Amino acid sequence: MVARVAGVFDEKLTEAIANSKILVVGAGGIGCEILKNLVLTGFPYIEIIDLDTIDVSNLNRQFLFHKEHVGKSKAQVAKDSALSFNPSVNIIAHHDSVISNDYGVNYFKQFNMVMNALDNRVARNHVNRMCLAANIPLIETGTAGYAGQVELIQKGQTQCYECQPKAPQKSFPGCTIRNTPSEPIHCIVWAKHLFNQLFGEEDPDQDVSPDTADPEAAGDAGASALRTEGTEAGNVERKSTRAWASETNYDPEKLFSKLFGDDIRYLLSMENLWKKRRPPTPLTWNNLPGKGNPTAQHSGLPDQRVWSMHECAQVFGDSCKALQADLKNRPEGDHLVWDKDEKSAMDFVTACANIRAHIFNIPLKSRFEIKSMAGNIIPAIATANAIVAGLAVLRAQNLLKGETRACTSVYLRPKVNHRGQLFVPEKTLTAPNPKCYVCASKPEVALACNLKQLTLKDLNAAFKDGLNMQAPDAVVEGKGLVVLSSEPGETDHNNEKTLEEIGLNDGSALVVDDFLQNYEVRVILQQKDEEKSWRLVTDPDIPMPGPKEEKPANGSNGADEPKPGPSCSKEDSDSDMEIIEEDDTGEPAPKPPKRRKVGMNNEIVDLC
Amino acid sequence: MASPSPKSPEQSEKNKQYDRQLRLWGDHGQAALENGHICLINATALGTEILKSIVLPGVGAITIVDHNIVAEEDIGSNFFLDCSSKGLNRGTETLRLLLELNPAVQGHAVQEPTEQILQENPDFFKSFSIVVATSLGEKIIQDLAQHLWDINVPFILCRSVGFLGSFRIQIKEHAIIETHPENEQIGLRLDVPFPALAQYLDTFDIDTLDLKDHGQIPWIVILYKAVQKWQLSNQNRWPMSRKEKNEIKEIIQEFIRKDENGIPIEEENFEEALRAVNTALVPTFLPVKIQELLYCSSATNLTKDSLPFWIMCSALRNFIEAEGKSKLPLRGVLPDMTSSTEHYVKLQSMYRTQAVMEAEIVYRKVQEIVAQLHCESISETEVKLFCRHSHDLHLIKGSNIAMEYQLGSNSVASYIARYLEEPDVMMVHYILLRAAEIFRSEHCRAPGEWEPEADIAKLKTCVSRLLTDISCSPFPKDDHIHEMCRYGGAEIHSVSAFLGGCIAQEAIKIVTKQYNPVNNTFIYDGASTNTATFTF
Repeated sequence: MVARVAGVFDEKLTEAIANSKILVVGAGGIGCEILKNLVLTGFPYIEIIDLDTIDVSNLNRQFLFHKEHVGKSKAQVAKDSALSFNPSVNIIAHHDSVISNDYGVNYFKQFNMVMNALDNRVARNHVNRMCLAANIPLIETGTAGYAGQVELIQKGQTQCYECQPKAPQKSFPGCTIRNTPSEPIHCIVWAKHLFNQLFGEEDPDQDVSPDTADPEAAGDAGASALRTEGTEAGNVERKSTRAWASETNYDPEKLFSKLFGDDIRYLLSMENLWKKRRPPTPLTWNNLPGKGNPTAQHSGLPDQRVWSMHECAQVFGDSCKALQADLKNRPEGDHLVWDKDEKSAMDFVTACANIRAHIFNIPLKSRFEIKSMAGNIIPAIATANAIVAGLAVLRAQNLLKGETRACTSVYLRPKVNHRGQLFVPEKTLTAPNPKCYVCASKPEVALACNLKQLTLKDLNAAFKDGLNMQAPDAVVEGKGLVVLSSEPGETDHNNEKTLEEIGLNDGSALVVDDFLQNYEVRVILQQKDEEKSWRLVTDPDIPMPGPKEEKPANGSNGADEPKPGPSCSKEDSDSDMEIIEEDDTGEPAPKPPKRRKVGMNNEIVDLC
Repeated sequence: MASPSPKSPEQSEKNKQYDRQLRLWGDHGQAALENGHICLINATALGTEILKSIVLPGVGAITIVDHNIVAEEDIGSNFFLDCSSKGLNRGTETLRLLLELNPAVQGHAVQEPTEQILQENPDFFKSFSIVVATSLGEKIIQDLAQHLWDINVPFILCRSVGFLGSFRIQIKEHAIIETHPENEQIGLRLDVPFPALAQYLDTFDIDTLDLKDHGQIPWIVILYKAVQKWQLSNQNRWPMSRKEKNEIKEIIQEFIRKDENGIPIEEENFEEALRAVNTALVPTFLPVKIQELLYCSSATNLTKDSLPFWIMCSALRNFIEAEGKSKLPLRGVLPDMTSSTEHYVKLQSMYRTQAVMEAEIVYRKVQEIVAQLHCESISETEVKLFCRHSHDLHLIKGSNIAMEYQLGSNSVASYIARYLEEPDVMMVHYILLRAAEIFRSEHCRAPGEWEPEADIAKLKTCVSRLLTDISCSPFPKDDHIHEMCRYGGAEIHSVSAFLGGCIAQEAIKIVTKQYNPVNNTFIYDGASTNTATFTF
């Protein structure tokens, strides 16, 4: 069927294609297009992997899926659709996370190249490391609205995905979220945490109750009087929020009174917090503003209107009930996962975020706006995906012909720039960063921290969040002492010990490795008294992300900042960095290896 | 709670499906798309890839004009054909599979040749938002382009041959209200505050507020106060230079409260004010580009047939000359800032009210013009949108493809010659694509389609003729001609998929009247992976 193309392609390319094996990671917007292009070009063997299932909001661009496929595996349906127009291709679909023991270095080694069509940084980091370890070329793609980009990652010849530190992902101090919100996003993060506390997976770092350990509240007479029930950890001692809610049968009025009444009054008692802030105003269920007002008529989408408090409370009640029912129908011990496209979950977060915003005198937002912020939605359209996927497969052809040097990075701009370019190409391959802590021959990085304060638990978080590891093991260099183990429970007893307490000092070196990523890095500790948490130091000229960075970088390297709606939490706010993320296609927050707890909510919350 | 429960907003299935794109072009962009009707001539792989990316986001309707019968090689490169389509009409077959992508889209197939429609029923093309054509010969391109130019229907001429591809947009005049500029001026009018704003700003006394309220002052108030203080010793001038702006920053620093040890207290609103000095103190002005637009003949010599855009430009000009006092209408958008809700909401409503007021004046002037000219009315929403984006209006004046194709001694010829002399290989590709169209016009097939070797000489003749027309010497080597004949008119799927995405993206920009489209030619070379744009 591709007879005519055979005349256009030279023999070398035709043969290379006929003998190729390609792995496509992600079957979303770009993944569907890549699969179609590969099949119609005559690629005979393709494996495609995607953890996700099909959602209605995918249908505006993921053309291998139709309405009747909603809820089914993306990888499987993509395969079936592709086979229906060319049954002679060998396609293997995996409904699975690429971050899994099943896809180790040897798995990657069987392919000629890997094509990434992902939507999140965690999975991209992981595939980057697997391809480096397997020494397989990786074609990395991404889009955001009208913008997009394609780049080649080839060990030793180009930059890897992690050669340039990415713009730090915005995070918020825990006490801002729990005690002193000042922006809508703080309330939205709080509302998502509340969702998890009530219906999702409980995470101690996502507490929603007042934080009595807030340093700002220190020496607070009012609070200490009330703090009889306080604990050392700073959390008000009580049963888990979930257990309590369950006992009250998720009674909306009781939940409301606790969250938006009692807890706020408790915060008010921490008087130091309100010396230069406007204090919050607790709300009562039976006396809410907006009651009795007719719902304002609004043109445009129904969810673009800002709800009154009264409406918020109604929606809060309804969504609580719906979510409770959903939770009840699940097997014991199971939990809900927050999803921006799930009605009740989105309603719940909108209502809670706005009620809290009202209490703290923060401007309210419409459901539409909150969805953008809570879900970090990046606009996604068929056209840009088609463009980027077309380029990606043409790059794959270049690679198979051995024309690696032609595969420079290309950026698609939303409109022609002042130099008349719609596509901005790099002139040459971008050389690897010799100091890259991932792809250098002997990766090394310094970790600046206060050894007297940083605990092993914090260190583990630094390796995961800072070094993007999935399951780090750390050994003291030269001594063989295991300080962190990825085996469950093996080093947990040391979690609360500081680095100093276990005998580490300024200049100590750790060998840290991740068995899954085949990645090992030497970490040198640097004592910094003033460092509150930790900070990675590679090259003195390049600032590295630490956990406390709050300002997202605006300088876009690949694409414009997505419009509208700021993306503020960690989930996939990456579109303003080098690689543009494609919205919710491909792999969402990937399933980490079995040994780790599953975390759907990725905001970094620092305890301050 | 006794009152009837308000319905939590049910998102319609349609809004859910289109959610990710609504965030790019909004409801009104979506509405424009749903009112759009795209005509495709020739359902080649490129043609169907274009339609695919327009059908998915939900264009109103598509019409495919194609009299060709599906051949074996069509099936190999075209996703929207399968083996059962062989021997059937290509337009009808591809339409069926394209419509499966989105049941909301209407579709029609017309099996007559374009030449025949153009002769017998030229009005056929009048109803389309855009006509897109692939794989046409030179003669019909010129006739079609001229006709679409005359009836003012945008036209995109597309080519995908082997590793080469291009598109050319022909659009007589395209006015864009929402250009989505990368850096939008904030436009707060701090230099010329409207009465309500001035009054409000004067109610603040930064030095006497208690600490709690001090930390709630919106930064625009801080900025205003700092400038006022600066003006006392600067003859009431407006700070313009970097040095002067630094002086403003120093004044803001002084405003910040100090604790008992004289250490400045961190106040976020003052930090924001410091950051805003460079952007928010730009004086209010009428950009030259907009001024030219408002005083061009289309805006000053209105007729009954003038487009709404020009009527609004005319009304806007009248506003600027009168009530507006040389200023464009206020945008009415307040940036985010640290402040109490009361202050923020008050400021926001003040800006909004003023913006509404000014837009209403413009709207009244629009209505007056409409009444005078007896032309179709323009909605208030449209005028409001126009006013809000009046700082970034953009007009593209296009050129006629038929003129481009009559080389001779016109300016297009010297434009091409300049690039060829450089030498610019992308312009060489342009010549080859044009030569292939001449070839198709004369031989009713693509060069190399049947006899690659024999066609080389024929194609070379076509190239020579073009080069003679623009007074350029022949190409030193024939390798591009050989390459073109080797392609034999075949499409490489990935090239067509890539170009299809590009063309659909530009078509959507045109239909939604948002973002500036390419003006007017794009060329792609997949062998060298180069791209270029030209303006013919």
